[in-house]
Amino acid sequence: MPRLSSAVRRRLWFLTRLSLIVVALIVTLLPVYWMVNTSFKNQVEVFTSPPTFWPQNPTMDNYVSLFVRRHLGSYLLNSLIIVGSAVVLSLAIGSLAAYSLARFVKGQLRESLNFWVLAPRMIPPVALVVPLFLILQHLGLINKQLGLILVYTAFNLPFVAWMMRSFFLEIPMDLEEAAMVDGATRLRSFRDIVLPLAAPGLVATSIFALIITFNEFFFALILTSTPAAATLPVGTAALIGKTQTLYGEMAAAGVVAAVPLVIFALLVQRHLVRGLTMGAVK
Amino acid sequence: MSAPAKPIAETLGLRGGWRGKWLPWALIAPMVLFALALTVLPLCYSLLTSFQEYRLGQPPAFVGLQNYQHLLHDLNFRGSLGTTLIFTIAATGAEFVLGLALALLLKEEFRFQGIIRSSLIVPMVIAPVVVGIIWRLLYNADVGLFSFAVQALTGKSLSVLSSTTLALPALILVDIWEWTPFMFLLLLAGIQSLPQEPFEAARVDGAGAWNIFLHLTLPMLQPVIVVALLIRALDAFTVFDQVFVLTQGGPGTATEVATLMIYKSAFRFSQFGYGASMAIALLVLVMFFSAAVTRAFKGKA
Repeated sequence: MPRLSSAVRRRLWFLTRLSLIVVALIVTLLPVYWMVNTSFKNQVEVFTSPPTFWPQNPTMDNYVSLFVRRHLGSYLLNSLIIVGSAVVLSLAIGSLAAYSLARFVKGQLRESLNFWVLAPRMIPPVALVVPLFLILQHLGLINKQLGLILVYTAFNLPFVAWMMRSFFLEIPMDLEEAAMVDGATRLRSFRDIVLPLAAPGLVATSIFALIITFNEFFFALILTSTPAAATLPVGTAALIGKTQTLYGEMAAAGVVAAVPLVIFALLVQRHLVRGLTMGAVK
Repeated sequence: MSAPAKPIAETLGLRGGWRGKWLPWALIAPMVLFALALTVLPLCYSLLTSFQEYRLGQPPAFVGLQNYQHLLHDLNFRGSLGTTLIFTIAATGAEFVLGLALALLLKEEFRFQGIIRSSLIVPMVIAPVVVGIIWRLLYNADVGLFSFAVQALTGKSLSVLSSTTLALPALILVDIWEWTPFMFLLLLAGIQSLPQEPFEAARVDGAGAWNIFLHLTLPMLQPVIVVALLIRALDAFTVFDQVFVLTQGGPGTATEVATLMIYKSAFRFSQFGYGASMAIALLVLVMFFSAAVTRAFKGKA
């Protein structure tokens, strides 16, 4: 084989790289596109063979039916209320604890606390779900929004505290000290100096909490069941049984459940890496 | 970081007074309360239940180690652990290799990199339940694109999810599709945060790309690799959502992963006691595994 000149080699490598990236993009996006495509087809076209890559008679019927007959609006509202409350609660409680851990705990204790803060996250959900079900049943909180809000808050707290702690540690102590030497109270220096500096951390942490909570299925499946409290993933999964071969409706439900988060993820793209990796990587 | 505690506490106005002494604890208290009520208490309750015969509508009866004895001889449980293990190893391994390849492919600056990277991580922000729906549509023998392609290529109609041999690989493929982006994201961030000097030095010395990758990139990336593998393995080991939506553990018990089996025994057959004992066994396995990995890489990571 003749030796290729370096310019040709670079060219070849560039083309290889490009085609690999294109393949990766197709493999990643085609399945998602297929769901969107199916959601706009009528029942006849869904079963057409060979399948159509573009809806021939685009229809919104599947979406209308979901909201009119399948309570998807209620599920969506439940999700927003439950996820919103749980994220705000866990961020407030977790940040306070994280501030305390970052500022007041030193030395050997700091290392071991580090472990204990995150340890609950390692517990398989299934090890908690049986007793949680029995406890919430005892309290009359099964199939109630409040029940799931409490469980999600507890579930989020370990990594919220863990992430926020790492953000607080990055804020130099001198700034707070300077403010207090100038006569500010601790509360004021926390509000005026620490919080603004920790804002990117709060954003990254809420992104992570929001995605995890919005998509959570296991606890929601067991602790809620009807449109009174069930979240979007539960409602969507319940549809699969009810719609049988109404694949168009199934696809439309998937689109409704996926779109809010995909748009959200694209919007916050800049903060996504740190958020999704639990602050492990900047 | 290593400054003595006292001066800082003093500067922060913590000297003396009940407020100063109690503030750190008061800030932590709400979180501890939540952890006690909704994690520690349930865990103890789980442990207690695992020693009981507890069915819906009947008062729980203490039966000692009976559930655990049953567990050791339960071929279904052993089978589901095996299935879970195959799923975890195959999925995590493939995700690592593909994620690393993608990260290396996309590590340099290029046009449209923002939009391409965002597109590549779409699967991981989609709810696992929806991922299940997406792949139901693809795998379905009547309407699925995947099945259509298989039929066009081989001439045979194929219902992947109802085949005892193909259902598990099909689920593994779904997991790979969903979570390779996570590996990619973590490894890319890891690669980009590596110092540049060693690489420049190696290139000056005339080292080839493969050698640089093997002897520089991989070892320097090890801490990130360990974290990424651990997170993914733990999640894959307790997989539930996609299996629930796609196969419900079937056909037969071909895809019955551990979490699904525990869910069924507790909430379909209302054997809370036996379900709890399986859950505790799973917890012990997970803790043992995490501790072993953490210990093996401590100091290096």
